[in-house]
Amino acid sequence: MNPALRLTGIRKRFGSTTAVESLDLEVPSGALYGVIGPNGAGKTTTIRMIMSILFPDAGELSVLGHASALEAKDRIGYLPEERGVYRRMPVGAFLTYIARLKGVTEAEIPARVRRGLERVELGGSEKKRCEELSKGTLQKVQILAAIIHQPDLLILDEPFTGLEPVSTRLLRDIVVAEHRRGATILFSTHAMHQAEDLCEHVVMIHRGRKVLDEPIVNLRRRFDPRTIRFEPLDPAADLAPLRALAEVERLEPAANGYDVLLADGSDPGIAIQRMTAAVAPSRIELARLRLEDVFVSIVSDGHALGAVS
Amino acid sequence: MRKVGYIAAREFLGTVVTKGFIVGVLMTPALLTIVFAVAPRLMAQRGSVVRGQVAVIDPTNRVTSELRLTMSPAEMTRRREETARRAIANAPAAVRDIAASQPSTPSAVAGALGAVPELEVVEPQTGADLQTAKGWLTAPSDGPRHLALVVIHPDAIQRLRNRDEYGVYDIYVPATIDDRVETAIYDSLRDALVNVRLRAQNMDRQTVDALVRVPRPRSVTLTQGNERATVGAFNRILPLAFTGLLLMGVLMGGQGLVTSTVEEKSSRVVEVLLSAVSPIELMAGKILGQMAVSLVILAIYIALALLALASFAMLGLVDPILIVYLVIFFIITYLTIGSLMAAAGAAVNEMREAQQLAMPMMLALMIPWVLATPIAREPNSPFSTIISFIPPVNTFAMLLRLTSTAPPPAWQVWLTILIGIGSVTAAIWFAAKVFRIGLLMYGKPPDLATLIRWARSA
Repeated sequence: MNPALRLTGIRKRFGSTTAVESLDLEVPSGALYGVIGPNGAGKTTTIRMIMSILFPDAGELSVLGHASALEAKDRIGYLPEERGVYRRMPVGAFLTYIARLKGVTEAEIPARVRRGLERVELGGSEKKRCEELSKGTLQKVQILAAIIHQPDLLILDEPFTGLEPVSTRLLRDIVVAEHRRGATILFSTHAMHQAEDLCEHVVMIHRGRKVLDEPIVNLRRRFDPRTIRFEPLDPAADLAPLRALAEVERLEPAANGYDVLLADGSDPGIAIQRMTAAVAPSRIELARLRLEDVFVSIVSDGHALGAVS
Repeated sequence: MRKVGYIAAREFLGTVVTKGFIVGVLMTPALLTIVFAVAPRLMAQRGSVVRGQVAVIDPTNRVTSELRLTMSPAEMTRRREETARRAIANAPAAVRDIAASQPSTPSAVAGALGAVPELEVVEPQTGADLQTAKGWLTAPSDGPRHLALVVIHPDAIQRLRNRDEYGVYDIYVPATIDDRVETAIYDSLRDALVNVRLRAQNMDRQTVDALVRVPRPRSVTLTQGNERATVGAFNRILPLAFTGLLLMGVLMGGQGLVTSTVEEKSSRVVEVLLSAVSPIELMAGKILGQMAVSLVILAIYIALALLALASFAMLGLVDPILIVYLVIFFIITYLTIGSLMAAAGAAVNEMREAQQLAMPMMLALMIPWVLATPIAREPNSPFSTIISFIPPVNTFAMLLRLTSTAPPPAWQVWLTILIGIGSVTAAIWFAAKVFRIGLLMYGKPPDLATLIRWARSA
């Protein structure tokens, strides 16, 4: 099966600044990819090149089997980082306009607009002007504009920025639903926990270069967690038996408990058994993979960088 | 192309279906129509008749009795109708035809001046001096109004030996006198003095009038195989009207393009649009949409102008091909200037910056106004010919020449159109590149060198 997206040796410079350098990326059809990295890493530039809004100085692109996104725009949904609407235009008219530009047939548009607004809990808002909506509500409209034509490829640039928790969950549900529908999804974020929650594959960009391109599962395996979250059943319990265990290197106080750092070579499974026996826990679990830590680990480790790029 | 159509439709409706457009574009001609249609009718409504007395101090003892005749309402009415008849005789043929079809026209024109005043000539008591007479003029009166005091010069009928000219009269009026009444008094006095002077010379007024009247001849404009009546004022107005329409259409369309592009860029909606269409499709849609807006405006103004001409039966004075040329030249100039304006809008972040960037183009559009007079006077001079081939003013110059009294040869018109098509192509090529890069550039507005660099690199 052809990949939905393939970037080979992409480079983009703005004057003397290199925004993206030697970027290779392949996103299989139907995958859910997250592009992560700090602000200014080159994520938005990469996405704009994928969308043919910007053009690379070097390298080749293939989007849904085409050499340029211009040839497949009607099959791509895009939520840009810089979100905008026609402020004086009614919500329904705005979505209708975008749907038309995206090639939805006139007969289908009214139902899609109505159903879409209901889906994001904005039913009956067609006549409201965009300028009357709050920032979060407007963001829902913009997300709706990105998916109204049921795209094969959905590209979301920093989609969660500025959303409160309820809207964040709503957007997550939409992304998951679009993924289940069969759309290939690529989204960028600088908030790495969102990528951890949602993606099945992450691509990490740092200073214009790709420093990581792996499935989350592999990452979890590669970046073996050496920390166990431990909350004693009795907050006043004596923790000396815990410290005495050979598997435990040290304890660090954390919220509602402790982070237990394991000694090198120790097995987390055995460590959990022994810790439970030493001090009764109310909660004990392996610390989840934090992409933030992975990122810090990678950029501070020349070997890792070299290995990926 | 379908998407370009959607963008053009949104651009068109987004501009036309706004209060600003309706008030600014539709209300102005509507108000003008109302003013021109209603005002003359209101003016034609007769106000109350002015009645009053005119005191005459007449040392000649011959003018007063004649003035009673020339100041009678019947005589004043006859004089007004005669003036109207002369005005109609000097008007364009079409207007004369209308007047001829309506026999009451002279009296209608005369009626527009208001009701004929009823003036009574009175003489101050014998021996009253000027000061006493002036007192009469300013004294409050329960009876008829005191409208004027006329002092006839002693030599008003017979010249003094050492003078070349006759004496006339002095006139004193109160501050509140109606200027039409004052004019009626002047006209009556003039007629009275002339009549008395002629009688004194044993001459007949009608004979003298006939002797001194030389009506202006009717000028006929000759062109190759064609001749038409010269309409002086119309010939001067027509070129300016056509170039004015052209300039208005281009400026309104260009301004609309800058505004909507800057708005889309500053509201960041442009990136959403670029995910659905290419920059060139976006630019094309916007240019076409605003062009449709300008064409609507032009159509409204042209229709009103033709309606006005038709109502004066002067429709035949405008050659329909001129309107076709106006539309062709509008499209050429608009596409040249409009695409550059769209690029200016895309390159900047706010209207103020856009206006600075568009200033040279605005100034270029003003050049034809400076050159209008020399071109209209010498439509086929080398200067006029050369300027007709230099974009973006070539279309204005050619339109001025086409609407002048000596239109240029056809090959020059075609050359202007061809050069126009070339300038449109170059402008769109440059604008498309600047538009594509500028739309996503924020920060310091670019200078001309940067714009050229964008055009080369894109």
